Formats: sequence, C-alpha cells, structure tokens
Amino acid sequence: MKLLRTLILRPLRRDLLRTALTVLSVALGVAVVVAIDLAGDAATGSFRSSMQTLVGRTDLEIVANGGVDERVMGTLTGLPVDAKFAPILEAQAVIPGVGAVPLYGADLLGESRILLSKPLAERVRGNRISFNLNGRGVSYTAGPKVDGTGDFLVLDIAEAQRALGRFGKLDRIDVTVSPGEDFAKVDRAVRAVLPAGYLLNRPGTRSEENQRMLRAFRWNLRVLSYISLVVGAFLIYNTISISVVRRRAEIGILRAVGAARLTVLALFLAEAALLGVVGGALGVALGRVLAEATVGLIAGTVNALYTTSRPAAIALGSTEAMGGILTGALVSLGSAFAPAREAMRVAPTEAMSRGAREHHASLRWKRGLAGAFVLAGMAWAAAQVDPLGGYPVGGYAAALFAIGASALAAPTLVLAVNRATRVATRRRAESLLAGRSLTASLARSSVVVAALATAIAMMASVGIMVGSFRETVTVWLDSQLRADLYVRPAAPSAAGEYPPLPRGIESVLESVPGVEAVDLFHGVPFHYHGERATLGGGRIEIVRRYGRLRFLPGENRDAILRSLPGADRVIASEPFANRHHLRAGDRIVVPIGARNVSVTIAGIYYDYSSSQGYLVMDRATLLRYLPDQPATNAAIYLSRGADAQRTARELELRTAGYGVTVAPNRTLRRTAIEIFDRTFAITWALEAVAIVVAMLGAANSLLALVLDRRRELGLLRYLGASAAQVRGMILTEAAFLGLLAMLLGLALGFALSLVLIFVVNRQSFGWTIQFHPPVALLAGAMGLVWCVTVLAGLYPARVAAALRPVDVIHEE
Amino acid sequence: MPQPRLELRRVSKSYSDGAQPVEVLHGISLAAEAGTITALLGRSGCGKTTLLNLAGAMDFPSEGEVLIDGRATAALSDAELTALRRTRIGFVFQFFQLLPTLTVLENVELPLLLAGARNSAATARDRLRWVGLEEKASGLPYQLSGGQQQRVAIARALVHSPDLLIADEPTGNLDTAGGDQVLALLRDAATRFGATILMATHSAEAAAIADVRVSLRDGRIQSLERR
Repeated sequence: MKLLRTLILRPLRRDLLRTALTVLSVALGVAVVVAIDLAGDAATGSFRSSMQTLVGRTDLEIVANGGVDERVMGTLTGLPVDAKFAPILEAQAVIPGVGAVPLYGADLLGESRILLSKPLAERVRGNRISFNLNGRGVSYTAGPKVDGTGDFLVLDIAEAQRALGRFGKLDRIDVTVSPGEDFAKVDRAVRAVLPAGYLLNRPGTRSEENQRMLRAFRWNLRVLSYISLVVGAFLIYNTISISVVRRRAEIGILRAVGAARLTVLALFLAEAALLGVVGGALGVALGRVLAEATVGLIAGTVNALYTTSRPAAIALGSTEAMGGILTGALVSLGSAFAPAREAMRVAPTEAMSRGAREHHASLRWKRGLAGAFVLAGMAWAAAQVDPLGGYPVGGYAAALFAIGASALAAPTLVLAVNRATRVATRRRAESLLAGRSLTASLARSSVVVAALATAIAMMASVGIMVGSFRETVTVWLDSQLRADLYVRPAAPSAAGEYPPLPRGIESVLESVPGVEAVDLFHGVPFHYHGERATLGGGRIEIVRRYGRLRFLPGENRDAILRSLPGADRVIASEPFANRHHLRAGDRIVVPIGARNVSVTIAGIYYDYSSSQGYLVMDRATLLRYLPDQPATNAAIYLSRGADAQRTARELELRTAGYGVTVAPNRTLRRTAIEIFDRTFAITWALEAVAIVVAMLGAANSLLALVLDRRRELGLLRYLGASAAQVRGMILTEAAFLGLLAMLLGLALGFALSLVLIFVVNRQSFGWTIQFHPPVALLAGAMGLVWCVTVLAGLYPARVAAALRPVDVIHEE
Repeated sequence: MPQPRLELRRVSKSYSDGAQPVEVLHGISLAAEAGTITALLGRSGCGKTTLLNLAGAMDFPSEGEVLIDGRATAALSDAELTALRRTRIGFVFQFFQLLPTLTVLENVELPLLLAGARNSAATARDRLRWVGLEEKASGLPYQLSGGQQQRVAIARALVHSPDLLIADEPTGNLDTAGGDQVLALLRDAATRFGATILMATHSAEAAAIADVRVSLRDGRIQSLERR
C-alpha cells in the first residue's frame, strides 16, 4: 500500500492535469456507452401495451395479417374451455394540447362513454373529451378513470370499430386461461378452430418482435458508442507507458531492494484500475445526464423508422452503474497490461534511458508492419463471414482488426513521413526538431497517432457511410416518388402504422380535373416468420406506367410488373429479401387474413424506407384475400400540362371533411431527407465525443513529451531559441501528429466505410448503399480536426516556453 | 584600457529555498578580455555553474551587474537576450548535450537554424572540419566517442562565431586523450576566433591552458591568478 502511495499515487497527484485528462478520457468513453444504453432502453423498452395494466394477465393472443375477423369471437366463446377471450382494437388519438395517445377498443359491455387512464385524466379536465382520430374530429363524454401507466383512452369495442371505420375487424384477441384449466388443452382447442392464416402467439411476442426489429439499430448504436472507449483505451495505454518509462529507474531500484516482479506488475495495474474506476464512476454520472439529452433523438428515430414507442423514464440502477464502472476499470486494465508487463520485466541492474528504449522501439517497426499486414488480412477474411444470429459479427471483427492493423502500422507511417519530409523540415529549426522528436519518441507518438487516427477514421467512415447512404436515398427518392401529389390520412403515423383513408375517397380524387391516374396503396402491418414487415397492395399497372421502381441488376422491371396483376405474385423490397434470404422466383407462404397464400417472388426492388421490408402485390389480388382492407395512401399522377398547385388546392377543397392531407412531391422528399438527417444526428454526436477524447489524448501526450524533454527544451534556449520558437516547435509537433493521424485515419476510415457499407449495413438492415464519399464534407471535417489538434498543443506549448533553462539543463 | 568583453561587478546570487534564502555567490567581481581563457576552479557546490549561468545571460544576479560588452544583461528584454545568445554567446556542457535525433551536422547547424541564418549547412560543415570530424557529419551522436561528441559540441558552440564561450567542465566526462583534444580546440578558439572563454573545471590540465585562474570557495573568490 505504501509502495502504491509513493510510486503511483504521489506522481498522479503531482501531475494533476495529466491525471485529470486521462480520467476525463475514460469518463467520456464510459459516459457515451452508459448514455446510449440507458437512452436506448428508455426509448425502446416500453412496448408493453398499457392495456395489459387494464385487462390484467394474458396467456395467449390471436392475431392475423389484415386483422382478425370478429366472428371468430363467437366460435371461441363457444369452446368448451375455461378461458376468457377479449377483443382488442388499437389506434392513435391526437388530443389537442397532449399529442398522440393510444386508443384501445375493448369489451366494456356497451359503455358509451370513453375511459381515461388516471395520468391522462390529470391532464385532460372536463366532462367531454375531443380528439382527432384518423384525421377526423370526434368527441365523447368522459367516463370513469381507469388504473394504468401512461396516457391512454379506452372505448367499447363496438364504438371503437364504428369510430375507426373497421366494422367487423379486431387487431387481436387476448386469451386468458382460468386458473385450474389445462393450458395445453386451451391452446389445442383454439388452434383447432382458428382459420389457417391466423397466428396464436404467446403474449410478449409483439414486444419481442419489436425488440428484434430494433436489434440491429440498437447494436449498431451500441457499437458506435464503444468508439470513444476504444480511443480512450489507447490513451490509457499511453499514460501507463509514460508512467513506466518515467519510473524505470525507480522500478530498477525497487527490484534491486527485493520487490517481486508481480509486485511491480500489480502496482501499474493498480494505477490503471484507479484511473479506470474513477473515470468509470465519473462516466456513469455523466452518462446519466447525457442519456436525458439522447433519449429524444433515439425515440424519434425509432418512431420514424420502426414502430410507435413512448420514451419511458431513464432508469439508472445499481447494475448499470456498476457495469459502467467495471467497463472503465476493465478497459483501463486491458490497455495497461502491456506496459505493466514491460515494467515487470525491468531488470534490477537496468537503467535504460528513454532514448535507448525509443531506439529499440524504432527497430521494431518492421515487426509492427508485418503484424499490420496479418491483421489487415484477418479483417478482410472476417468481412466475408455471414452474420451470426442476425448480428454482423464478422463486420465488427473486421473493423476491430482494421483498427489494430492501423495501430501497428502507425510507427512505420511516422518513420516514413519523417523520412519523406526530411529535406523540407530541415529548413526551419522548429520543423526539424518537431519531426525528429516524433521519431525519437516513436513508441509514444505512434500510440497518439493511432488513437487520433482511430477517432478520425470512425468519423471519416461514418461520414462516408452516411454521405453515401444519403446520396443513395436521394437518388432512390427520385425514382420512387414519381407521383405529383400524395394523399394520406391526417393522422399521426409512425413507421409500421397505416391509418386508413376514408372509404369512397378514390372517386373524389379521380374526379378532380387534371388528375390522370390515382394509385391507391393498401399498407397492412404484417407478421412473417417472427418478424414484422409490411404487406402492400398497389395498382401495379399504374406503377408500371408512371413509376420508375428500380429492381436488382438483371431483373426486368417491365416484365416483373406486368406479371403481377391477376396472379399470386409479389415483389419484395431488398431488405425483406435479404432478411429472409429470398430470391426472385422463390415461392413463399404468406398468411393473409384467414388463409395461407402461396405467392411467388417476381422480383426484388430497391427500397430504403424500411429495414423490415415490404411485400407488394397487385391491389386487386390483395383485396381478393382482404376484401375490406382500406387504402392507406394515394399517389396522384397529373395529366401533362396540369397545374400542380391548382390541382392540389382543388383536391384539398374536395376532400375537406375527409380528414386527409395533400402533399406535393417535393414536401415528401424534403420530409424524407429531414428524417434521414435526424436519424443520423446521434451518430455525429457520438463521433464528436470520440474526437474530443482523442484531442484530450493529444494534449495529454504532448504535455508528457514536453515534461520528458525538459532538458532538451532548456538546451534549445541555451543555443539561441526564443520562447516563441520553442512554442512553435511544440505546435509544429502537434500539427505533425494531426497530419500523420489524418493520413492514417483517412486510409483506415476508407477501409472501415467499406466494412460499414458493404458488411455491417447490409447484414444489419439488408440494403445496398452506393459508394458516394462526401468529399467536401470530409475535407472540411479533416481541416477542423487538424486545427483542433494544433489547438490541443497550445497548453503544452505554453508549458514548454515557460520552462527555466537553468533549472532543467542539468537534470538527468 | 579597452572595455572588457565580460565583466561581473560585485555580483551576488541567492535562491529562495522556502523561507530561507540561500546565497550561492557573494560579491564576485571579475573581468575577461577578448581572446582570453578564464578558468573557474573550486569544489562542487562552490558556485562555478551559477557564475557561468550569470555570465552567459541565462540567469541574473540578485545584486550587482553582469555586463557583456558594457551592457547589463538584467536590463535586456527577452528578445534581446535571445539575440545575444544567437550572436554573441556559445555554450559547452560537461555531458555534451547533443540532440540524439539530429545528425552530427544538424547538431552543429542548429544554432544557425534557430537564428535563421543563411548557408547554415556550409558554415556548420566548416566548423566540423575545424574540429576534425567532417567525415562524421551524417552520423548520429551515439555513434561517436565521448571526446568526439564534445568536439562536436564545441563546433556547435562556435558555429555562429560568438564572442563569449561558456564551458562547464568541458573535459569532466572525457579520458585524457579526449580531454587534451578538447582543450587544444578551446585554446585554438581563443586564438583563432578571438573568443573570450569562461570555463569551469576541476582539471589541472584544463586550468593549465587558462590565461586567468579564479579559485572559488563558498561562493567567493579565494584567489585570482594571471598567467
């Protein structure tokens, strides 16, 4: 303990600024991981229906693609089993001043009033409650308040069907088996009477489906959140290395007076653990704060792209807190192990100077380069591996191997660039000294370059991926959104929800002068092999004539679309096909309504609107299986020469009272791109934190270089260097570091972007992204990072310039 | 009588060590003419190095004045001091203090690069020739013997033709042969370049080449002997 205090704690206290920078690096790394985990849980964890708190325990639930026919209720209640069957409808109501809240239809024995959950009743006063349902205003007398968490409304099932226009349809039937009744018997009896296409699920299946649906999204977010931690790990390695180098003489003395090797190892690991635990604890607290800021962003993305989710409160329990601290400690210990082992190997008689060590390090570059090639090969091999359990494990491994390869290649790069710039840097003392200093402290400068490069690479790779994705989506929007105007219900729509268009609107739309064709689309939430997706029906002939749907290479668009009408043939979106390993020509069985329908995949088209995917058939085919299925949106093509603005106004006039919105093409495109940009906002925030951590590391390392080279800096003053020149030398060194990191970071970033685009994204979400690096954005970002790296050198430069030469020249 | 190139007038130097100031030099007065070698003799801790730092304008007296060519160093601004070191003063240290990452030639050239001088490489090569190490120009310091390293350090100290050369135990870390070579160079520097050399030493051989020998004891001049 005393050794720990004198050899470790005292120096940490003496170098308080550097200690603080290291702790802060770990804290930021841990904070981001904790924040993303907490916010992710809060934003996606509350899929449990509020209804469950109302109706109590449910043992089974009956669902069907396209809705459950309410007549099934009659059959079920006639079964000779002791079980309760509860019909349920779900929709979203928009209450002025409150926003969207779930509205349930349940068997309330003919109750004509609307029930409010207690939390909602607190916010909505008065005897009557008015709200918007599928774009239309409705009003009910408020009935008794009901228990339950969160805001929700409940109507009697018959009234709900009437208000929603879903006569004879249910979203599901909840089954509760009475105590004492044989569960298996009920299960068998229900299955026996259900139509072929109906699904009998365990409760929680929906929640599991949701979680499964969000799995890739959350995993990728989580992996991104580890970047700062990886960058932090490099810096811990650096800090402990510096610690070992500085105390080499002390270690030698310790060993000479009898300290065991393991004692030395334990001392340095204790230093790392201490930095990790303190950083981890700070990170947990910081993460809790960051989670508050992040949850809205994540929930927004989940709602826009996946499913309706209401963010729950952020819950930081002791498990999460301990997990965060443990993460900090483990990352610290892991990254400190190599330098601590080196300390353990110091012989009692050894008094090797830094210069000699660095000289040895410079001789090891060939070994590092060979290792880099091996790791690069492993990265390539890992990128070829198929996803494991739905996770792009090979992609993540490839990214890690690539990061390792670049770290091992860093010393070679430092030496090579130094050699290449030898003539140019020689012209000025500052650049000559800065360049040589980096090679002189090769082991250390390589780690800083590798850490900075990793952060830059992640930024560049995500930049390239997002830029490419954005460009792909923009091009896709051009081909996908060909109609002039779009009509949809004026109801809140989250991804996977399809509020219906009012019946009879088709003829209204077609009657407007200037309208040449109306493509009515029927979107149906759809369960397929335990995954959620959308089953769609459209007027394929109109799509063929007016649209520009793009199919995978080699597939004939016209022939595919011509083959759909009048046949059990569908087209699948690329993510759906990849998710379920389907190819054109495959036959699959799809439960639609009461039937299992065998359909042929006629073709696979590019789509970027849903990672869950679509199966689309001709509208007439869909309506053959789901006769009452309402249309959910309409694409309107205008005749040549028609005035789009005037037609839109006319459409709005004629559909007034139908509760629909009419949006021109450009509005839809703009909204789509806005959603896209919002989705990736969090990605940029995570990147920024990684860059900040790397900058802290750069400042930390430069400060260490300054402190270790005090004597050399003092000598320069003796030889005629001005304070400004010493300052300039350190800043030049920072600039060199930034430049080297940028070179390595861009190369690594390019490789990582290929992994992200062609492995991780493809395996996680199933879509093909065209490679479009956003050159201007990247150049701007790199310039900014380089400037910030130079700024990180300001404080160390000031320290260097303020050194008193006479005090330091005789040290050693 | 010509103005001495270096003059110390009643110089005292004390350091604050906590509450108690520690006086290292007491009332030192000394003058050195152009082209002469002054040897400072005395035990470790007698104040030799402190006096060298004051003479080289790297530190300033607590009392009294250090004058270089008649100008008090304490009155000079930081920029003037830097300019003074770049043009008028050279330093040689006991442990050579060569930068291990620079080649021999670059080490010698460094003061000229810092001063932004032209033809720095040619001048540095010229000085290396003078110390007999031109063939080692592209080597690194660790490839040289101690004596050779100190010769490089002397070449560096004189590369900008300073008027004043401050040498702190220049032979203290060398064997006899190496030490003799270094002393010969210092003598030659005084003669050929007209440099004023102020040298701290323990060595009798070093003291023997000096024109003036100053013995220090406990921060005071014990004796001053001219040859």
